[in-house]
Amino acid sequence: MKKYLRITPEGTKDFLFAECAAMDDVCGRIENVFKTRGFKRVITPGIEFYDVFSLPCSGIAQEDMFKMTDNKGRLMVVRPDSTLPIARMVSSRLKNNVMPVRLYYKQAVYRNNPTLTGRRNEFMQMGVELIGVQGLRADLEVITTAIQAVKSVANDFRIELGHAEVFDALSDELSISEEYKEKIRQSIEGKNYSALNNLLDKLQPCRAVSAIRSLPSLFGGEEVFEQAREICSGTKAAQALDYLHQIYTSLLALGLGDKLIIDLGLVQRNDYYTGIVFTGYINGIGDAVLSGGRYDELLSEFDMPLGAAGFAIDTDAVTLKALSDGGSYSDKPDVLVFAEDGCEMQAIALVEQLCGEGKKAQFSVLSTLEETQAFAAQRGIAEVRICSR
Amino acid sequence: MQPLRIALTKGRLEKTTIELLEKIGYNCDEVRNKGRRLILPVGDNDFEVVLAKAADVITYVEHGVCDLGVVGKDTILEHGSSFYELLDLGFGKCRFALATKKDSDFYGGYNTKTIATKYPNVTRAFFDDKNMDVRIIKIEGSVELAPLVGLADGIVDIVETGSTLKANGLEVIEWVTDISARLIANTASLKLRKREIEELQKKLEAVTG
Repeated sequence: MKKYLRITPEGTKDFLFAECAAMDDVCGRIENVFKTRGFKRVITPGIEFYDVFSLPCSGIAQEDMFKMTDNKGRLMVVRPDSTLPIARMVSSRLKNNVMPVRLYYKQAVYRNNPTLTGRRNEFMQMGVELIGVQGLRADLEVITTAIQAVKSVANDFRIELGHAEVFDALSDELSISEEYKEKIRQSIEGKNYSALNNLLDKLQPCRAVSAIRSLPSLFGGEEVFEQAREICSGTKAAQALDYLHQIYTSLLALGLGDKLIIDLGLVQRNDYYTGIVFTGYINGIGDAVLSGGRYDELLSEFDMPLGAAGFAIDTDAVTLKALSDGGSYSDKPDVLVFAEDGCEMQAIALVEQLCGEGKKAQFSVLSTLEETQAFAAQRGIAEVRICSR
Repeated sequence: MQPLRIALTKGRLEKTTIELLEKIGYNCDEVRNKGRRLILPVGDNDFEVVLAKAADVITYVEHGVCDLGVVGKDTILEHGSSFYELLDLGFGKCRFALATKKDSDFYGGYNTKTIATKYPNVTRAFFDDKNMDVRIIKIEGSVELAPLVGLADGIVDIVETGSTLKANGLEVIEWVTDISARLIANTASLKLRKREIEELQKKLEAVTG
């Protein structure tokens, strides 16, 4: 007996009918935004060499990747992320291309999550990368594209902004090991105030220590800058803060109001991001649906020092939300066209005509009118037309 | 808008949390007379309380079906992954400890030690930190039994008063970490409902000192 004949592996699922329609709708809206903003699609292989993802800055743990070997015994992984392969691609295929390049992708990524947590091991991601340029204009382009993409699929959302250098500059002032720094970073990321206090209490009290202590609570609107400026003045973080303020002030033109949040405790994947960082949340989804930022050091790992920024959207989460909101993704035809013997081609022509008029029409493939009517009744199809001589 | 939903760890943590909520002015009569209900309104529908087992509190908060949760640090260390830990509530205090039979030389010799515990992840992390290979056996009931019957060289478990250890001829040889109840929040909820959550957090902070 084949034990696993009829089930899918944990963390994966089949998508049927309305689910696909919803996914197409969500991805279509986002794709439309990407395309109108001038991003061009790329597809990278589903399997890559492990080396691409084992870079120290990749931020993807070894145990989270699905691995296998090729016929030469080399270690391969099933793509756990799209940005690293794109960096690899740019450094080889686009080496002589005119910079900057605007790329977008729409492809599944795979993570080997712990079992029984209900997390997905295969999920669709869409995102953009703007490679070969640095500075305010590039950052604004990427962030506004992200906002527009989220806006195209949700009304109630939040976009939060931070800057990787705020924490980096402050923690560089402390003479602590990388390990200790990482512990501090984790407790800020988790807004774990008690752990953070414990870690900082062990250090010599100084300006940077008290600034770091307040990072996780520095989130909100414009007022965050005033509080932060006091705390960070005279440190290198002040420069990053000014830049963040500049971005924030520019984005006010979008009229997002309190949908735009500043979070100086946004320190995820801090080895990877080097400048502005941002995440997006949609009401009704318990996790960030969008995350991105500037990663100017990644391309150097591929011997191509170029500025780059981008983001990824978890479109599966958005699709699920669209379905649970009861969006109409009906796959039911309005009209079923039955052909009497010999009238098949006439009926098929009629179907084409009806579809041309914007109706959902379908040619009945059943051989009798009774069967066709019974099928229409079962599926709740309102109209059956008959083509006869 | 739907009221904030808070998952509480059933039992002692639940009782103390309810006392705290009453202290900051919320009417918790419905929770006190809960009968067999598992979702209960608090105050003037200010928020909803959900009662769950400790590890499930984390699961509900992580998946965003509950906005906040009250759970012990022990459970967070064992099962935790991605959520915000907002506040040390200061009650439910105890400690994780490594204990062995009295006067046994745990760190001596070169043979790999066996540890019995209900908390394999906490134990793994503790010994990983020491770069020490150990064999970990998960036990569901009274862990103190394992070294006595010869299954394990030591145990890693929660110690409150230490009287159970003493009564069984065991002693603490090292403290692993301190434990108390924590207020946790779903990452998206904290961003989407910042004001409500911060308000409650501040009130709780004021009474927990």
